[in-house]
Amino acid sequence: MGVLSSLLTSSIGRKILVALAGLLLCGFLIAHLGGNLLLIYGEGPFNRYAQGLEKNPLLPLAEVGLAGLFLAHIAVSLKLRHENRQARPASYAMQRSKGGRSWGSRTMLLSGLLLLSFLVVHVWHFRVQEHADGLYRAVMNAFQSKYYVLFYVAAMAALGLHLSHGFQSAFRTFGLSHPRLLPMIRKTGFAFSAAITVGFALLPLWACFWAKGPR
Amino acid sequence: MGLFLGQGAPMSAKLDAKIPSGPVDRKWDKHRFELKLVNPANKRKFDILVVGTGLAGGSAAAALAELGYNVKVFCIQDSPRRAHSIAAQGGINAAKNYPNDGDSIWRLFYDTVKGGDFRAREANVYRLAQISNAIIDHCAALGVPFAREYGGLLANRSFGGAQVSRTFYARGQTGQQLLLGAYSALIRQVGKGQVKMFQRREMLELVVADGMARGIVCRNLVTGAIESYAGHAVLLCTGGYGNVYYLSTNALASNVSATWRAHKKGAYFANPCFTQIHPTCVPVSGEHQSKLTLMSESLRNDGRVWVPKKKGDRRPPQDIPEGERDYYLERRYPSFGNLVPRDVASRAAKQACDDGGGVGGTGLAVYLDFADAIKRLGVDAIREKYGNLFDMYQHIAGEDPYRAPMRIYPAVHYTMGGLWVDYNLMTTIPGLFCLGEANFSDHGANRLGASALMQGLADGYFIIPATLGGYLAGSKLPKVESSHPSFKEAERLAEERTRRLLAVGGSRTPADFHKELGRVMWDKVGMARNENGLKEALSRIPQLREEFWSNVKITGSGAEFNQTLERAGRVADFLEFGELIARDALERRESCGGHFREEYQTPDGEAKRDDHNFSHVAAWEHAGEGKAPLRHQESLDFEAVHLAERSYV
Amino acid sequence: MRFRLRIWRQKGAEGGRLVDYEIDGISPDVSFLEMLDVLNERLVSRGQEAVAFDSDCREGICGMCSLVINGQPHGPDRGMATCQLYMRRFKDGDVIVVEPFRARAFPPVKDLVVDRSALDRIIAAGGFISINTGSAPEANTVAVPKQNAERAMDSAACIGCGACVAACPNAAAMLFVGAKVSHLALLPQGGPERDRRVLAMRAQMDSEGFGNCTNETECEAACPKEIKMSNIARLNREYMRASLLAEDYTASKESA
Repeated sequence: MGVLSSLLTSSIGRKILVALAGLLLCGFLIAHLGGNLLLIYGEGPFNRYAQGLEKNPLLPLAEVGLAGLFLAHIAVSLKLRHENRQARPASYAMQRSKGGRSWGSRTMLLSGLLLLSFLVVHVWHFRVQEHADGLYRAVMNAFQSKYYVLFYVAAMAALGLHLSHGFQSAFRTFGLSHPRLLPMIRKTGFAFSAAITVGFALLPLWACFWAKGPR
Repeated sequence: MGLFLGQGAPMSAKLDAKIPSGPVDRKWDKHRFELKLVNPANKRKFDILVVGTGLAGGSAAAALAELGYNVKVFCIQDSPRRAHSIAAQGGINAAKNYPNDGDSIWRLFYDTVKGGDFRAREANVYRLAQISNAIIDHCAALGVPFAREYGGLLANRSFGGAQVSRTFYARGQTGQQLLLGAYSALIRQVGKGQVKMFQRREMLELVVADGMARGIVCRNLVTGAIESYAGHAVLLCTGGYGNVYYLSTNALASNVSATWRAHKKGAYFANPCFTQIHPTCVPVSGEHQSKLTLMSESLRNDGRVWVPKKKGDRRPPQDIPEGERDYYLERRYPSFGNLVPRDVASRAAKQACDDGGGVGGTGLAVYLDFADAIKRLGVDAIREKYGNLFDMYQHIAGEDPYRAPMRIYPAVHYTMGGLWVDYNLMTTIPGLFCLGEANFSDHGANRLGASALMQGLADGYFIIPATLGGYLAGSKLPKVESSHPSFKEAERLAEERTRRLLAVGGSRTPADFHKELGRVMWDKVGMARNENGLKEALSRIPQLREEFWSNVKITGSGAEFNQTLERAGRVADFLEFGELIARDALERRESCGGHFREEYQTPDGEAKRDDHNFSHVAAWEHAGEGKAPLRHQESLDFEAVHLAERSYV
Repeated sequence: MRFRLRIWRQKGAEGGRLVDYEIDGISPDVSFLEMLDVLNERLVSRGQEAVAFDSDCREGICGMCSLVINGQPHGPDRGMATCQLYMRRFKDGDVIVVEPFRARAFPPVKDLVVDRSALDRIIAAGGFISINTGSAPEANTVAVPKQNAERAMDSAACIGCGACVAACPNAAAMLFVGAKVSHLALLPQGGPERDRRVLAMRAQMDSEGFGNCTNETECEAACPKEIKMSNIARLNREYMRASLLAEDYTASKESA
């Protein structure tokens, strides 16, 4: 059995895979948020950015890679989850934490599934559909729906929760346990999840309640 | 050194200790050279059965498997890693002399013989001291995380009043780490297939065929099935019998059954009255208590032991003025004070309580007071030194020892007696060996601190691999399988016994009988014994046994996991064995080490040994059901160490 | 004191239920297991079968006792085994739910007793140093930095009770395995077999049917010896190192 196949079949190897994909996706989140923030600068800069991206010949390659990351992260996580269920066929009549778990860790599956559903809608909405008036208007119009904004904000809250555990958990999976470094990673993780949540959630809220439509 | 006749005692041919000739420091080397060897290719043809997986059993099984023998190992718990060796706290002695403080093999040998009150075999003790260093080497190589100095080399401490620092330790969990080391060596052989492991098995019978130990009959504790295993030799490594007192620092499952059943098949039982009582245990809090917990003796370095002068004084300790306190150890032993040896401190506590000075709800406790030490050194210094112990006490007793004095009381802790073995660790049944605390051991009448771990590992790692080979190479061992009639007979005995137990259908639980036996043992055959008390015990125990067999109540069946039945079997054996302790204590008309006869003491209450009449090992032979056992003697001859008296006044 | 106990009773490998027992006259100074002893004495006196549960040393070191008490392995206290839990920790009249450790890798035996031999099999796969008796060098020829010896001891303190598995939402055994891998990886004596050990123990762990670690840290919270999560991180590290760097991966797997 080679190194690669053990990575795909062993418990630790697959966790490393999930963690690696998760951290790379965090990098994508940062880039995505940076692009989104251009909305505030108005239609011109944002659409120029969007068109620049679309015209880039490397985009399909990047998109396939990104899809691969998402797919690996989700599929392997679900597989692990399934195994974890099987690892305890008879559940406890009463189970109470001794103080280890956090809200983030408890809700990884839930937040993950919410994010998955968001992802489908989001990709359909802004990537698959044609936007004759440019992406800027499509976005700003979409954010006029309070329901859509609510869904978007909820998904971003879930993302924050997901990251609050996932970020530091990934580093632990990579074997990081230094007594000084680990608390720093934890704090960084919390700050990062808060920043990502606030950053992404602010835009629909701003578009809906402050900017009140395209301008 | 040979075997000499005791004072007109019958000399039994069986009690040949087979001590090699020559000077004491050459005996072991000489013996190892003279022992026959088993051809490497032939080792795999021998099946060895090892019962028990503590330090002795675990290490023996591992070492024998490494040599190529086929080993089958049996343990009562769910894993070999749980044996009670794991609870030893203090450390393990070795004569490395790393601290350069004057230690040597000879000094460790001398201290052990003297500490045992001259009731151990010189040759065995010397060998133990000789091997001690190799044990440390091997354990370190196995990955035992011993305490270290900043330079990376091994740290030592002084322990149990020794004048040199020869104790190696792994925090307060030395027993655990040594056991896990032996367990890792054992389980490595399990992985290789050289050892076959049988967990949750209790040995019920020894199988003797053609005069040789050839197998065992066990109960599978999960299914209740009676199982037979045949082999070329049987090693009993089943620990001590302290639980005959019901309350002791032993684990719940610790029992005498394996050695007792072997005794009834012909193995002599030596010095059963040598029991060690540890002075600093958390006292009994009520009738439902299941065990006693030991606290390190080091507490006596700073604590002062006292009881109220007025009998039955029920005031809280802080309200009792200084003038109304009796610091009895300081009063009786002005030069040693609170640091007198274990047996002396234990007896003094019992005396204080018997005189009505006992404190606490049961009146069976004395105070160990740190108020002066806290005043002198400050609470932080005390916390740093004893923090863990204080926390443990607070957790168990529910009282804060920084504010009120601790309550302590002695408890049974270790048993020096056990199956009689010769220099090769073989019992009086050929092919039956006994190792560790289960044998009558190298500790004489009293064991020094940090010596139990040393002995268990010496027996298992280093002695038995040599001596067992000698036996196997020098014996004719015809093929015996578990279809042999002796197995059928042993199985029948075991099944019959279970059936009898279940058929009684009385009204008292096994634990209830155990408790009552424990009370008799503790009161009459405990720390201080006298002729009248021992005779009372000898009449009371058979009555209790009779009541047990007519009134015990066991629920469930024999064909399932049944802890009540397991307990009943062990209690039934304790009810027979307790009588032998009392008998041995009665016959040993002297005081020595852990055995204190009130009739034999100096005017100031110290133990008075009788070397003229009792410098021997008493080995008991089972003479048949309902018959008085026979007492044999193996004379102890001291050539290297001169007999001397202990005095602590 | 008086309590209402809801105890899991189970005959064989399948089926089982919580049975209610009222118990009174319990002193706050008895331990939890002694309270169960009292219950069993009363049950047997009444001709009923005693509740089967494991325990041995009753001082928190042998790892034989287990139990999930009110949803928590080894009860509510941190750094304590069930045998070190005293009834004064509860309030008079409390309802106490007592269940066995539950995991696929710990098949039930009876009532509160489960089979934890999977843990032994993991150790048998590689949790040792391969040295035969008699071949050890003089102990002080190998120096071990004090801080490494101390950290090895922290990991070696594991009592193998399986509470980490019982507490883990995924029934993973990573803390147990991590503790042994760390103990031996921190000592120079464990060096020669470092790669082989972690690969073999990981393989055995997976084949026993334990779940996968998601760093919930419940294991650390439930461990009676307070073994740290850093042992799991070290296990991950050791595993990655061995997977990527072990020169002859196939051979080391087969000989393990």
